[in-house]
Amino acid sequence: MVLDELGVNPDTVLVIRSGELITREARVDDADEIEIRPVISGGSA
Amino acid sequence: MKCRRCGEPAVIEVRRHNAAYCKACFFHVFPEQVKRAIKQYDMLRPTDRILVAVSGGKDSLALWDVLLRLGYDAAGLYLGLGIGEYSTRSGEVTKAFASERDAELIMVDLERDHGYDIPTAGRKGSRSTCAVCGLSKRYVFNRAALEGGFDVIATGHNLDDEAATLLGNTLRWQTEYIARQSPALPAKDGMVKKVKPLHRLSELETAAYAFLRGIDYVVEECPLVAGNTQLRYKDAMNAIEANSPGTKAQFFLGYLDRAMPLFKKEDTAQLVACEACGQPTTGRFCAFCRARAQILGERLGERADERDTTDDMRELSDEVLPVEIYGDAR
Repeated sequence: MVLDELGVNPDTVLVIRSGELITREARVDDADEIEIRPVISGGSA
Repeated sequence: MKCRRCGEPAVIEVRRHNAAYCKACFFHVFPEQVKRAIKQYDMLRPTDRILVAVSGGKDSLALWDVLLRLGYDAAGLYLGLGIGEYSTRSGEVTKAFASERDAELIMVDLERDHGYDIPTAGRKGSRSTCAVCGLSKRYVFNRAALEGGFDVIATGHNLDDEAATLLGNTLRWQTEYIARQSPALPAKDGMVKKVKPLHRLSELETAAYAFLRGIDYVVEECPLVAGNTQLRYKDAMNAIEANSPGTKAQFFLGYLDRAMPLFKKEDTAQLVACEACGQPTTGRFCAFCRARAQILGERLGERADERDTTDDMRELSDEVLPVEIYGDAR
C-alpha cells in the first residue's frame, strides 16, 4: 500500500523495515522506519 | 504473504512465478536457478577456473557468492574506473567481500594500467561514457582472463539486463546482436568463454539475495549512467511487467528457447588479432586500442580508408546497449 501511495513499482525496490525485508502486503505502522531501496542498475556489468 | 515451500512468512515475492519465499527457502531456490542455467547452457565444469567480473554492485557480488558456495574455483576481477567516490566505494566493498571469503581478487585500474579514467574518456573520446566504459570492461576482462589462464569469464547480467538488451536490439532489428544474445558464449579466436549464470533471475531477486546474505554492496547507481538508454528500456519493460508479471521472462527466455536458432545465420563475425595489442577484433586495430589512442591523443597509424566500418557499427550499437559483441553463439 505504501508503494501504491508513492507510485513505486514493487518489482523495482526492496522494502526494508528494521533491517528485515518485507513483502508488499506487509502492514506498516506510522512509527516504522522504512527503507525503500532501488534495485535497478543501468550500467554494463 | 506465505512462503510457497514451507508456509512461513515470506520476505520476497516473485510475481512472475506467482510465488513468495521465506529467507531460508529463497536461499534454496536462488542457487537452484543458477544451477539450472549452468546446466542448460553447459556454462561451467567443476574443474574450470572462473573469473567473475565484479563491480561492487548487487549482481556481481551475488554471483560470486553463489559460485563460491556451489564450490567453484571463482576469482574476482575488479576494474577501477576512476569515477570518484563511486569507484572508491566500489573497490572497498569488493575488497572486503573477497577478504571475508578468502577469495582471490585481481585489481586492474584503468588510469594506472591503461592511462585514462572513464570521466576523461567520456570527455575526450567520441563514444558516450557508458559505451567506452563497457568497451573498456570487456577488453580488460578478456585480456586478464587470457593472461591469468582462466577458462571462463562470468558476469552478473540478470534477467532484466538481458530483456532490456534484447528489447533494444529488437527495436533496431540488430539481427547480428540478436543472434549472439546467448547466456553462454563459447571461446573463440582469442575470446575467452563468457557466461551469465544469473540470466534466469530478476534484478529484484539478485538484490534480495545480496541483502539477505548480508553482502555489503554499492546501492547507489553510477553517477555517470543517469538517463542512459538501457535504463529507459528497463523502465519500459517494468511498466509492462507491472500489469503482466512474467512478460520479461517470456520475452527473453522465450527468445532463447525458440527464436535464437532462427537468427543463427546472422552471426558472421570473423576475428583477427589487433595489430597493436593482439586481442581479437574484426579490423586492423581493436575498438579498445582505437578508443584509447583517441582519448590519449596518440596515433595507431591507421589511415581513414582502412577504418573497419563493421567494427564501427558494432560500437555504435554498443553506445546504447551494453551488449557483448563477440562470440559465435550469443
